Amino acid sequence: MINQLGNYSLYIALLISIFIISKASLSLRKLSITLSGNIFSLISVQSIMVIISFLTLIYAFVTSDFSNETVYNNSHTTKPLFYKISGTWGNHEGSLLLWLLVLTIFLFIFTVESKNLSQRYRTLTLFFQQIIIFGFLLFILFTSNPFSNLFPIPNEGTGLNPILQDPALAIHPPILYLGYVGTSIIFSSALAAIISGSINKSWASHIKKWVLVSWVFLSIGILLGSIWAYYELGWGGFWFWDPVENVSLMPWICLTALLHTIFTLEKRDIFHSWAVILSITTFSLSMSGTFLVRSGILNSIHIFANDPSRGVFILCFLFILIFLSILIYFFYQKTIKENLTKPYLISKETAVLLNNLFMMFFLSVVLIGTVYPIFLEVINNEKISIGPPFYHKLLIPFLIPFLFFMAIGPNIKWINGKIGKINFTQVSIFIISIIVSYFFVKKYGVSYLLSLPLFILSIFLFFITIKDFFGKKVNISQKISHFGFSLLILSILLNGVLSKEFSSNMKVGDERKFLNKTIKFESIKVIKEQNYQSLIGEFNIKDENNSLSLKPELRIYDQPQTITSEADISSTIFSDNFLVFNVLKNDGFYNVRYQIKPFMIWIWISVILISFGGLISLKKKNV
Amino acid sequence: MKILKIFCILLIFFLFFQNHSLANSPQQVDKISKNLRCLICQGQSVYDSQSDFALSMKTLIKKKIDEGKNDDEIYDFLISKYGEWIVYEPKFNKNTFFLWLLPILVFLGGGWLIFKKTKFFKL
Repeated sequence: MINQLGNYSLYIALLISIFIISKASLSLRKLSITLSGNIFSLISVQSIMVIISFLTLIYAFVTSDFSNETVYNNSHTTKPLFYKISGTWGNHEGSLLLWLLVLTIFLFIFTVESKNLSQRYRTLTLFFQQIIIFGFLLFILFTSNPFSNLFPIPNEGTGLNPILQDPALAIHPPILYLGYVGTSIIFSSALAAIISGSINKSWASHIKKWVLVSWVFLSIGILLGSIWAYYELGWGGFWFWDPVENVSLMPWICLTALLHTIFTLEKRDIFHSWAVILSITTFSLSMSGTFLVRSGILNSIHIFANDPSRGVFILCFLFILIFLSILIYFFYQKTIKENLTKPYLISKETAVLLNNLFMMFFLSVVLIGTVYPIFLEVINNEKISIGPPFYHKLLIPFLIPFLFFMAIGPNIKWINGKIGKINFTQVSIFIISIIVSYFFVKKYGVSYLLSLPLFILSIFLFFITIKDFFGKKVNISQKISHFGFSLLILSILLNGVLSKEFSSNMKVGDERKFLNKTIKFESIKVIKEQNYQSLIGEFNIKDENNSLSLKPELRIYDQPQTITSEADISSTIFSDNFLVFNVLKNDGFYNVRYQIKPFMIWIWISVILISFGGLISLKKKNV
Repeated sequence: MKILKIFCILLIFFLFFQNHSLANSPQQVDKISKNLRCLICQGQSVYDSQSDFALSMKTLIKKKIDEGKNDDEIYDFLISKYGEWIVYEPKFNKNTFFLWLLPILVFLGGGWLIFKKTKFFKL
């Protein structure tokens, strides 16, 4: 009964969407520029309808209403309440509903906060946003309806994939979606601005807020996913260049480029067309990302073929949106009043362009690495894998000059095109970095050809960003974000080089030597939890001075039957001690993996710093 | 200042050609197995996996190293046995030249565009 409420409110939202689209297109044709209060209240009603249907779905999950097919497929009565709720968006149907929810709420916020902007621009943004909402509603209602009924009503559900029953992963999708959906506003408003001929400084300072919001949420969303992969997948890594990860990284890279471009547009009134192109690209990437992950095309192309209606709809919708935006771009291109004065080669403008160049390069590497195997398989039925070595090989050589430009770029002035005197501080910092890296590489015997220049430049960038804190040339949010980024690169490098790993098969009572430590498998105990059984191993790691006790866990879920391993990690500011164990076939033996991962925590902290810089920038009126 | 610059450049060159070392057997097994896909797992490398397949692969790699094969020979052998799907780094050939070159073309094209769209000095 209550299940139907959700369904009907979605239909009402659909009707409202159709009404607004037709109304908006009529008023645009007549050039009557008033956005009637009527439309505003319609948008409020639409948001409320979607909120109701989302709440209905949560209610169905909480009460384990198995007459709902989505609940039946993804929930179970013994699941803890928290995961019943997060199970709402832990599946295809529910996650699309969450997308829609954020989409309508963001549109509502946009309508409220853009009150004193031009009516034509607002109406157009609203119009494009409604087209996206309309597409999503159609998609949800006709191919992935979360409110389909089951009859007869089953007694028990099939359960949520245990690997998803985790606090970080429960809040990861909503945060990530806030980022993804934020880009839809950027997309609509860019199209609106190009049609109404208002791509200019004031558009930039308005849309900048949305760019920042999406960027911050996307960064935090990626961070959460990465932290989850670190402790849950049990391999001790935090980034695997897995297609699903890449899909979230691509809009982030594009958004980072857009962020820099928008700042420049606001300040210097240049790069108009480029900002529009980036806005369109970012949204296309976000949307194809969500769809690709959800439709299962990425992991295996065969799942895609299994559900043709879904796949075809996705492709058509994406195609229409991208086609529409390209059409609008070329048709209205002449309205862009591009500033024709060329920037000087040595100026902050060029530095921003260089940032964008590198971002586009990184983007193209990740994009082609992610989609190429799919196309190759379709075209000539050959299967290839693209993994970390591919990305490292292409990215690292370009990372080196990128770090260099990132260090000197922010210190160059706007406009001015002089090759000034060589900055003495920068040169001395550079020499110090060379010396530090040399001794470091020597001491730890790092043996890759590119590692030395990579070290030199990441340390150089690190010192420069610290030095910049005391200068006045750069604003505070940029200081924090850039410092965060240099810290990120440096910690990833140090982590990669200094990590130590031990792996062995052990049974209870065994002792192994590793470096100067002794690892002892002390005991194992079994505990029954609400919806799983837990095997907790107790390990003791001793060196001359301290001993550390680590208790990794194996969880045996019965609904559905899966084993997950929970690593035990002890973090300090210098390094993480990471221990995970797995059952082996021969009785009594467990595979034990112990890793020392230096500076792990700094990777997380640096991403938080990067996003924090964005947040501060949001607070300020003028950057 | 000039001396400083030359000093820097020389230093870099000097350091660049300093660090080469030969890996020994266990490290080499790790290095190779990190670049191989565990065919029966989901998105795990042979190195990370504890499955039977992965374990036997590691033994196989070790055997090949002991036979005196170098990395490339081992990869080629595995590709001929299991197909391109097993290596995480696709070989450069007619199927993949686009994959390797496109990003670099993007970079060069973009770089050229920036060069065209900026001017050198104040006129």
